[in-house]
Amino acid sequence: MNKLEFFRRLAEILNVEEVTEGNVLKDFDEWDSLSVLSVLAMADAKYGVVIHADEIRSVVKAADLAELVEAKQK
Amino acid sequence: MKCIFRNKRISAILSVVPGQESCFDDERLNYNLTEEKARRMKKMMGLDRHRVVPPGVCSSDLCLFGLQQLLNEGALKKDEIGALVFVSQTPDYYLPPTSNVIQGKLGLGHDVICLDLNQGCAGFVIGLMQAFMLLDIMDAGKVVLLNGDTASKLVDKRNRITYPLIGDAGSVTVIERCVEENPVHLCLKMDGSRYRALIVPGGAFRMPSSSETLKLAEVEEGVVQSLEQIHMDGAAIFNFTLEDVPLQIEEVLSFSGNSRESIDYFLFHQPNQFILKQMADKMKIPQEKLPNNVVGIFGNSSSVSIPVNITHNCGKQLRNGTLRVCLSGFGVGLAWSSMVMKLGPLTACRTVEYAAA
Amino acid sequence: MNFKFRRKRISGILTVLPAREQSFVEDMRNFKFSEARSLKLKEVMGYDKHRIVEPGTCVSDLAVAGMEHLFKNGLLHPDEFDALILITQSPDYFMPPTSNVIQGRLNLKHDLLCLDINQGCAGFVIGMIQALSLLEQESINRVVIINADVLSRKTSPKDRNSYPLIGDGASITVVERDTEDSVIHANLKMDGTRSNVLMIPAGGLRQPSSLETALLEDVGDNNLRARDHLHMDGSAVFNFVQMEVPPLIENLLKHAGATMNGVDYFFCHQPNRFMLQKLADKMKVPYAKMPSNVVEHFGNSSGVTIPTAIAFNLQEPLLQKKLRVCLAGFGVGLTWCAMLLDLGPLNFNTIIEY
Repeated sequence: MNKLEFFRRLAEILNVEEVTEGNVLKDFDEWDSLSVLSVLAMADAKYGVVIHADEIRSVVKAADLAELVEAKQK
Repeated sequence: MKCIFRNKRISAILSVVPGQESCFDDERLNYNLTEEKARRMKKMMGLDRHRVVPPGVCSSDLCLFGLQQLLNEGALKKDEIGALVFVSQTPDYYLPPTSNVIQGKLGLGHDVICLDLNQGCAGFVIGLMQAFMLLDIMDAGKVVLLNGDTASKLVDKRNRITYPLIGDAGSVTVIERCVEENPVHLCLKMDGSRYRALIVPGGAFRMPSSSETLKLAEVEEGVVQSLEQIHMDGAAIFNFTLEDVPLQIEEVLSFSGNSRESIDYFLFHQPNQFILKQMADKMKIPQEKLPNNVVGIFGNSSSVSIPVNITHNCGKQLRNGTLRVCLSGFGVGLAWSSMVMKLGPLTACRTVEYAAA
Repeated sequence: MNFKFRRKRISGILTVLPAREQSFVEDMRNFKFSEARSLKLKEVMGYDKHRIVEPGTCVSDLAVAGMEHLFKNGLLHPDEFDALILITQSPDYFMPPTSNVIQGRLNLKHDLLCLDINQGCAGFVIGMIQALSLLEQESINRVVIINADVLSRKTSPKDRNSYPLIGDGASITVVERDTEDSVIHANLKMDGTRSNVLMIPAGGLRQPSSLETALLEDVGDNNLRARDHLHMDGSAVFNFVQMEVPPLIENLLKHAGATMNGVDYFFCHQPNRFMLQKLADKMKVPYAKMPSNVVEHFGNSSGVTIPTAIAFNLQEPLLQKKLRVCLAGFGVGLTWCAMLLDLGPLNFNTIIEY
């Protein structure tokens, strides 16, 4: 998985200039139920994977989210 | 479940919406939303206005009003009614069945079969299935399918997850036998293991009504709810809609010998604009063929959202001609059911506003 | 409306009754009537004991227990039925449908039609009509009908009109294709103008439950009920049954080209012994052919009384032979319906306890 591309897509969803792997998701203003849905949609449309609500809740950093999606792709 | 129904057709569809319209912009302050977040929500979900019943009006009132209209304008005669099927999650009573109450109010004869089915989002397609099956065992008469829900009564105005999307409505669909084969293909699946994804936990027998269940609490910011109101696991429903429904659409297209191109319209249940856009993209269906505008005009009225979708978006076309359509209802249960059929021309196909007698 | 079905049969009936038994004498303590008057009523109506659930027990609990019993004993395979129809007026939730809850709790396949139909006293026959019409579809080969109610939980213990006779229970009926060219006839009538004769005024959306609807009121006959409770107009029900049921059955038999004598047993919904004996008198059917003993042993469990009557009165015989039976359900709606069919030999015909 191209992590740069993943973080770029995430930045678009969160409406920020940039997202780096160390960023804590909760710190973003727009990390809420709406962006969670956008992330689920992105995971399905761009990566062909299904993420469940409880899996998202256990994710802390942007890197964790990328790893979660990547793991499911295997 | 896969079925083919033959020699039956829909002859009329009437959607009934409350006269009262409210706007998201006016209600924003109830949700404790910043202007920015409200703007995002409005844009993403396709929100704008919705219709909600005033106190004292029930689903059956909306349906009865619609049925009375059809009778008044001669699109249907009382003695043609062989069965009344009432599909709702917001019935008048535990008992008697609401279809019997409607039968009584209309003064229909004793030979009318009255059935109440508890169904939600998939309830229009399931109601049609029931109607087709009844026509097979009845020796005469038409089936009147009534779909009605007043989910606004099961949601608090200060619940930003559910209230902005909610809509109340009723519909009346007349189904009858016909000479033409007119095959209707149905695919249906249900998964009760995910029943908690969309639930009203209290108020019925599992958790009877009490001062505890009636208590409203702010469970998270901008989400006020009681146990007797709708609890929705948005992410679980979202995943279900993206994962399970497209597979069924493929299945019903193949089962009916159709393709995306041969279908004029995909008339789906209307949860919100975002999910419908995602579904259209995923299934490679052009957005113009998969209307997603109902939530922003009327709200999501559970099983009635498909008939409202039909009457609002295709009313004129269906009054004058025929369309090949794919209907799909998906949600509470979890249940997902899809149907391909030729629809129209209809003797009535429009949306009317409810007016108390 | 008349119906005719071919080549379908009931292959088994299981009834699940709560183990908790309460006697009329115990119930009497809550009534506003004198002991003497209550005992007189007991004698006339034929009350004795009834089975009611422990607080908190729901229809899905009874249904799941019954289905698990069938699976465990190899009487039904979880993958080998195509529809699960639940007939109830006391669902676990308003949403989702309780049939889906049962499906989920039993981990049943997704290729299964689950439907909740709201019906009561006539619910066994209505469930049968639903199953038989589903079986007209090619893809449906076996249907499970579950009739279940826990209405004791919505009946006032201070209502002598209703409480002594109310019962809870669930029944599971398996209906499938018949290799023999059997015919089932049915007749159904409904009258919604009298729908208020049997009702629970509050709790639905017409009048949601509140602290007020839970308050007990003396409705003028010394019985105390809340708007959240079952209201039954006893004499209206009695008159209705006497007036409508005999011609319905007569009509059914005529349509089927059958006679009263040709019927081995009449299995009617069991409101109470008094009403059924009066009905038997009117129809000129000997009491032995029209069992009326369910209420005194188990109570009136709505749609479950017919299968209970069958399992309780003809447990062994129906495992061995075929009998010509006429079923009759009547009550809430108002609904009255009857069905003429051959019954037996059955794979199972039992009562188990929950």
